[in-house]
Amino acid sequence: MEQLIEELKKKIIGILDLANLPSTQLEVDGPLVGGSLGLDSIDVLEMVIMVEKDYGLRVDNRELGEKVFASLRALAAYIFENSPKLKR
Amino acid sequence: MTSQRVFIAGAGIVSPIGCGIAATAAALAGGIGALRPLTLFATPTPPLPVGQVGCGLDDPDLPRTHQLARIAADQAMAGCAAAPDVIVVGTTTAGMHTTERLLNAGTLDPQAYRRHAAGSVAEDLAARYGCSGPVLTVSTACSSGAVAIKIALEMLRTGAARRALVGGADSLCRLTYYGFNCLQLIDPQGARPLDRERRGMSVAEGAGMLLLTADGEPDRALAEVLGAGLSCDAYHPAAPHPEGDGAYAAMAAALADSGVSARAIDYINLHGTGTPDNDRAEARAVARLFDARTPVSSIKGATGHSLAAAGAIEAVVAAICIREGLVPANTGLRLPDPEISLAPVTEPRRTRVNTVLSNSFGFGGNNAAVVIGSPVERELPASAPVAPLRVLAGACVTGAGHTEKTLARLHAGEPCKGVIPLEELSRHQPARLVRRLKFMPRLAMALADEAQRRSGASHPPAAVFFGTGWGALSETHGFLNSLFETGDRFPSPTDFVGSVHNAPAGQVAIQCGATGANVTLTGEDDAFEQALLTAAYLGRGAGGRLLVLGADEHHPVLSGLFDRSAALDSAPAAGGAALLLSATAADPGVAVFPAFTAPAAGRTDAIAELVGRLGGAERIHARFGVLLAGIPAAHRRAGEAQLDAFRSACGLTLPVVDYRRWVGEFASASAVATFLAVDFAAAGAVPAALCDGRPESFPGKGCLVIGFGKTLTAIEVRP
Repeated sequence: MEQLIEELKKKIIGILDLANLPSTQLEVDGPLVGGSLGLDSIDVLEMVIMVEKDYGLRVDNRELGEKVFASLRALAAYIFENSPKLKR
Repeated sequence: MTSQRVFIAGAGIVSPIGCGIAATAAALAGGIGALRPLTLFATPTPPLPVGQVGCGLDDPDLPRTHQLARIAADQAMAGCAAAPDVIVVGTTTAGMHTTERLLNAGTLDPQAYRRHAAGSVAEDLAARYGCSGPVLTVSTACSSGAVAIKIALEMLRTGAARRALVGGADSLCRLTYYGFNCLQLIDPQGARPLDRERRGMSVAEGAGMLLLTADGEPDRALAEVLGAGLSCDAYHPAAPHPEGDGAYAAMAAALADSGVSARAIDYINLHGTGTPDNDRAEARAVARLFDARTPVSSIKGATGHSLAAAGAIEAVVAAICIREGLVPANTGLRLPDPEISLAPVTEPRRTRVNTVLSNSFGFGGNNAAVVIGSPVERELPASAPVAPLRVLAGACVTGAGHTEKTLARLHAGEPCKGVIPLEELSRHQPARLVRRLKFMPRLAMALADEAQRRSGASHPPAAVFFGTGWGALSETHGFLNSLFETGDRFPSPTDFVGSVHNAPAGQVAIQCGATGANVTLTGEDDAFEQALLTAAYLGRGAGGRLLVLGADEHHPVLSGLFDRSAALDSAPAAGGAALLLSATAADPGVAVFPAFTAPAAGRTDAIAELVGRLGGAERIHARFGVLLAGIPAAHRRAGEAQLDAFRSACGLTLPVVDYRRWVGEFASASAVATFLAVDFAAAGAVPAALCDGRPESFPGKGCLVIGFGKTLTAIEVRP
């Protein structure tokens, strides 16, 4: 799980171009959207694509999205429990 | 003089529900829906419902959008032997359906992409009907067709044109089909606007065209264009303002412009895409302005959303409603959304309809509303011809860097070709603000920011007019690349939102808080001139400050395929300029005036017309001290011949600055030239190095910026 969190952190910093921000602290338990990094709905959609492409999971409605992208830990937990691609 | 009334003398329409006025009227009266699974191209997952046009689009040499535009335009022009004085077309996809296929196949022949440009649709119609006046292309995403009507309306009202062919066209393509899908804005069951269970839109295609006249009421006028209003949300690149503030402002402006009260509107044709956010925001805006009993409907549950065509298609539908006494149904609506306090029409209704308001809103927060009514005699306000705009401040970017670096390099006689590095481009913008943005939005934002700072920051613009030859190529390439590489499965949502031509201007509006008109124009080498011309017509009512920008990027793959001039120069070049302008004649500052724009290809009289428009040889000599000539590399021979013809037509001895040799080959190089002309006119001198080493000073005189090649343009810049 911790390994998955680290893996996701790297991916998110990459796809959302967060590396150049002065504070690239992607908190594990803080809110992923809004928050100090100011991530918005388009960033969420980028993460949706990543989750489907890399972990074979579709997040295709707002209610599920709010749950899955609540925090980095929530995202990791959702992938950990549901991904057909993850070797456990 | 009094403002001219503007009538719809002819109209054409092709959409998924039918081809032609009669077929469309019958389909609307019968409540026919036409959303079906896509068959135009193969998809990796079961095809989603779309609005695909069924009638013959079988010309292998012409992109689908161009074919749709021709069908609708031929209908609108039937019975009119005279050429239109002006053509204004809204489009976003243009040749994209063809371009996708070519790129995916690895085609590297630029000739194959000659009809990729958004501007090529209007250009095709101009050649078809022999238009010798301004040919403009609006690309404000889903409001393009309606914005085009507003521009033509203003040109006709002043008497500058008597006949305008105006409309919008877009074809289905992979970019829009997969793009809206990856934004999760598609309803898998087909669009159900205003429905409680609605989940999104259905992408569609089509074209609507109107022949507008200001020649007095024609014998068989379909209706009258009473007014139109534009606004910008200045809120988010893709999502509407949650309270519908921008929608409200556009509708209120349209009512004020038409002199019609909210109570006089018999039917509101909603934008009503079927996305949860759009319909909720639009409903809130409508409820703030209109009686809750006003009949409303969105026809997009029947036709789908044909993007840039929608505003024009729905303007034609408004005219049909008035002529037929018909209020079309809100097809697809089963369970009204309790959050929406409007009165949607669920079945087609026969009733007298005198006045219709039609809404169109687009990405970038670019909003438009149009009021169409039965012709009615009324008092009209006074209308003055367009006047020069006053320059409050300006800024430019070239390969040399920002404004000061560019000016220093040119004064030293060194060229400014090249591409500014991304970090330098965004040096004044917080990383957080630009992290997701590629070259074009960063360029536009940097230009807007610098122009404002150079003005002393006391002049925030109310309205933004943006010209770009090729739009956001990095985002377009990024989107298509990610699509192709993943077998049409995982394109980038960020790139899709950024790929529309008007995305940079939308970002500028957010940056400046500019909630007035926000119009993006495109047309290869004359895009900046189109933006300036539009600003001159639309800016008069804006009251505040106008920001006019021109910008283009250099993309290592696409620039060489699309822009033949860029392909001919071994040095990549990119850049642009912004002018912060005032429409108040009393304001001090250098005056800029878009004096001329017309197609030049195949015409022998264009140069003589240009000289005439500039007031003849004597006036040119008396008023101007230098000519900044734009000769795109792809049109070098023809352009030089035009320049020679211009010189001999007015016995011209003016020094000439061949500016593309200094700033490089990019479509909006003329924006940089105009910025430089402002600088030269204020100084009354041109750096000697730019004129073959001869010091040239011309105190009290100005500069002429003339674009040669496919389109002939002239901008007067005077102290």
